[in-house]
Amino acid sequence: MKKVLMPLVMVAILALIPFVGVQYAGLSYLFGVIIPFAAIVVLLAGFLLRMADWMRRPVPFRIPTTCGQEKSLDWIKYDRLESPAHFWEAVARVLSEVFFFRSLFRNTRAELHKDANLAYGSHKWLWLGGLAFHWSLLIIVLRHSRFFFVMVPGFTDFLDHADGFLDVTLPTFYITDAVVLAAITFLVLRRLMDAKMRLISLQTDYFPLFLIAAIVVVGVLMRYVVRLNIMPVKDQMLRLVNFSFDAPGEIGTLFYVHLFLVSVLAIYFPFSKLMHAGAIFLSPTRNLSNNSRQKRHINPWNSAIKFRTYSEYEDDYREKMKKANLPIEKQ
Amino acid sequence: MQWQVLRMEVMMKSRKLLWIVAGTAIILFALLNVFRKGEAETPRAAVAGSVAIDSAKCIASAAFMRANHMQVLYEWRNSSVRTGNRVHIASNGSKFEKSLNTCLGCHSNNRLFCFNCHSYANVKPKCWNCHLSPMETP
Repeated sequence: MKKVLMPLVMVAILALIPFVGVQYAGLSYLFGVIIPFAAIVVLLAGFLLRMADWMRRPVPFRIPTTCGQEKSLDWIKYDRLESPAHFWEAVARVLSEVFFFRSLFRNTRAELHKDANLAYGSHKWLWLGGLAFHWSLLIIVLRHSRFFFVMVPGFTDFLDHADGFLDVTLPTFYITDAVVLAAITFLVLRRLMDAKMRLISLQTDYFPLFLIAAIVVVGVLMRYVVRLNIMPVKDQMLRLVNFSFDAPGEIGTLFYVHLFLVSVLAIYFPFSKLMHAGAIFLSPTRNLSNNSRQKRHINPWNSAIKFRTYSEYEDDYREKMKKANLPIEKQ
Repeated sequence: MQWQVLRMEVMMKSRKLLWIVAGTAIILFALLNVFRKGEAETPRAAVAGSVAIDSAKCIASAAFMRANHMQVLYEWRNSSVRTGNRVHIASNGSKFEKSLNTCLGCHSNNRLFCFNCHSYANVKPKCWNCHLSPMETP
C-alpha cells in the first residue's frame, strides 16, 4: 500500500506548496512566471534530448513484432497492417497504434476459475479506458488554447462547442471533464483491484495518474465551483506565450495550484514513463517494415571481413602441397 | 413457548415503531410543504408593489461580480422565470429588480461592456439568444 499512498501524499504536498506559497508568502511571481518558464524549458529540452538519445541508437536489423502474413510471393496475399512490407504501411501501423491503441484492443486476460480451470478471454476495458483517457486529455489540452491565443483557432472553437453540446449547468458542462475523471478512476482502480496488477504496479505508475487527476480536479473546481476572474488568467497566459516576464495580476490561489501541478507534470514528463508519448513513434518492434526477405540488412558497424581466396592459399603453400602430392590447380 | 412470546412482542414493537416513524414523516412532509409554499408566496406579494431600484451602485463588489456575474444572472433567470421572484436583495439589504436592465442601467454607457471581456476570453454567453444586446440597440 505504501507505493499507492506515497504518490498520493506527494501529490497532496505538491498541491499545498503553491497554495501556501501564494496565499501566505505572496510568491505569485515565482509560481506564475519563473516555475512555468522553467517547466517549459525542462519539458522541451528533456523531451528533445531523450528523443535524440533514442534516435541515435542503431537499429541494424528488422525486428518488428508481426501477427499477420508476411509479404513473400506475389500470389500470396499479405497483411499490410500486421506485417507491413513498405514504409507507408509501417507508418499506418504506428498511427493506428497512436490514435486507436490497436495492440490494446487485442488485450486478453487470464482467469483462474473454480476447479483450477485457467480461462483466457478478450478484455477490452483497458483499451476503452485508455482511449477515453487519452482522447479526453487531448481535447482538454486543445480547449485550453483559448487561454494562449488572442484569436482562438477555429477548430478548437469547434471542439469547445462540441464538448459542451449538452448545454447543461452554467459554465457549460464539458463532457470530457466527466470522461477523463471516470477513465482515470477506472485506470487507478484497475491497478488496485487485481492482485496481479497490484503486484506489478509501481509508484511511477500511480504518481502520474494521481497528478493528472489532481490537475483535472483543480481545473474542474475552478470552472464549476470556486470561480475565478478569468481576465488576469488570460493576461498571464498570453504573457507566458509571448515570453514576457511581467508580474501576474490578482488571480485566485487555485489557479496557481493548477499551474504549479501542470508545471510539475511538465518537469516530470521527460524523466518518466510519460515519455511513451514520444517513444511510441520510435519503437523498433512497431515502426519497422518487415522486409527482411526483400532487402538484405547489413549491420553497419561490422568491420570489413578480410577474405582469403583459395588461390591465395595455394600461392602460400604450393611448394609444400607439391611435396605432399596434393592436387593443385595452378602449376 | 417463551421464544414465541418474545418474537410476538418484538413484532408488535416494530409495528408500533413503524407507525410512529411513518406518522412523523408524513407530518414533517406536510409541514415542510406548507412552509415552502409560504416562502414562495412572500416575494410574489412583495413584487406587487414596485421595487425601488437603486441604480447608483452595483449589486455586489466588482471583484465578486467579475468572477461570479454569470452565476448571479443564472440564478436571476431561474428564480424570476420559474418562481416569479423578481427581487434581488443584496448583502447590504438594498433591493434590485432581477433584470438585465438593472445591469445595463449603469453599464449601458459602454456598449462593449459585455463584449470586451467575453471576446477576449472567448466565452460566448447565451444571453443574446433571446435578449436584445447593447450592440443591437440604437
